[in-house]
Amino acid sequence: MAASKLKKTFLAPLGKDNPVFVQILGICSTLAVTNKLENTMVMTLGVMFTTALSSWTLSVMRKWIPSRIRMMVETMIIATYVIIVDIALKAYYPEMWKQLGPYVGLIITNCIVMGRIEAFALQNKPMLSLVDGLASGMGYAYVLLIIAFFRELLGTGSLWGYQILGSWWTNWSIMIMPPGGFFMLAIFIWIVREAILKEGHHE
Amino acid sequence: MKNQSFYAKRIQPLVFMAAVTIVCILLTAALHLSTLDLVKANEQFFLRRSVLDAAAITHDGQPMAVSALYEDLVSEQDGQYSVRTADGKRRYVVESTGPGLWGPITIMIGFEENLQTLAGVAIVSQNETPGLGARIEEPWFTAQFAGKNGPFRLVEEGTASAPDEIDAITGATRTSESFRNIMNRVIAESGNISRGQ
Repeated sequence: MAASKLKKTFLAPLGKDNPVFVQILGICSTLAVTNKLENTMVMTLGVMFTTALSSWTLSVMRKWIPSRIRMMVETMIIATYVIIVDIALKAYYPEMWKQLGPYVGLIITNCIVMGRIEAFALQNKPMLSLVDGLASGMGYAYVLLIIAFFRELLGTGSLWGYQILGSWWTNWSIMIMPPGGFFMLAIFIWIVREAILKEGHHE
Repeated sequence: MKNQSFYAKRIQPLVFMAAVTIVCILLTAALHLSTLDLVKANEQFFLRRSVLDAAAITHDGQPMAVSALYEDLVSEQDGQYSVRTADGKRRYVVESTGPGLWGPITIMIGFEENLQTLAGVAIVSQNETPGLGARIEEPWFTAQFAGKNGPFRLVEEGTASAPDEIDAITGATRTSESFRNIMNRVIAESGNISRGQ
């Protein structure tokens, strides 16, 4: 019973309850950081860390938080974890920190983080909330990595900064500009919903 | 809910929020202070590396080696860097900032002893679009300036041939223009660099 709930909690955000292509949350950062695979990886690791630990922390505190100020408390906890990510990057991975610039701080406004706390962590036990937060972060991460893979490859002919395609390849500069993010995301959601989730084909 | 006491309604949320805030601030402040030295060392490393790059001094990119080379070759005065080269000549490096597309672009520009020929250019900081304007950090772009005198004109990426032509970055026209403007301004003012007798 407990194990099946754990499994369900873990698998839902990766598939039929995915935060990006089903709930359409966290779209702003999906568009902003997916033009280079390496940046996307670091950013999504930051989001996974933040959703997992802030869900856990707020679940631990859930019985004591006065309900009328719960959103302030949530924001405070989320902001703390995001600042931890920011400081850690600044100290130990400064080249990446310089490249990501303001995007790390903007994890605070990622709707997935607060969404999972409000929808899940405040009603569930800490360990389950941790799993839910982590899985939601992973569901977000793999979608972004797939989009970043195509944007970087088509836009610059390289992957993870290494040149993959030869000089015959003409870079599609539009792919690394903001419109490219919209196109890739829309195509991705369309394919997933039509081919895998079979929406609109109810028998 | 109606019968909630004054304490539960007004005081307890305040106290709770204050307590959470204090804990969070203590945590982040402790982390900030414990990594402060490392962050400062990183900043110094970036600055020193950009001075060496602008003066076209080759190095292996390792913090220790960069530090040692810098201390051996560079002397700083009034925000200007004077760099000794292997053949006993001097190169002069100045820092300059100009507006980019999203935020300021700060670069180091190195001149040969005649204060006219460029030795090299290095980026100190920029906030341009990753993958587009941020490509000013790529070596092919900054390497274009070495050995030339300027002032420069931008041409389409991959077509520069004359000594005053610079390949712009496709998809980042505004950033390329900003960069050219900073370069041309510094070149126009290069006569003011003091050789520091």
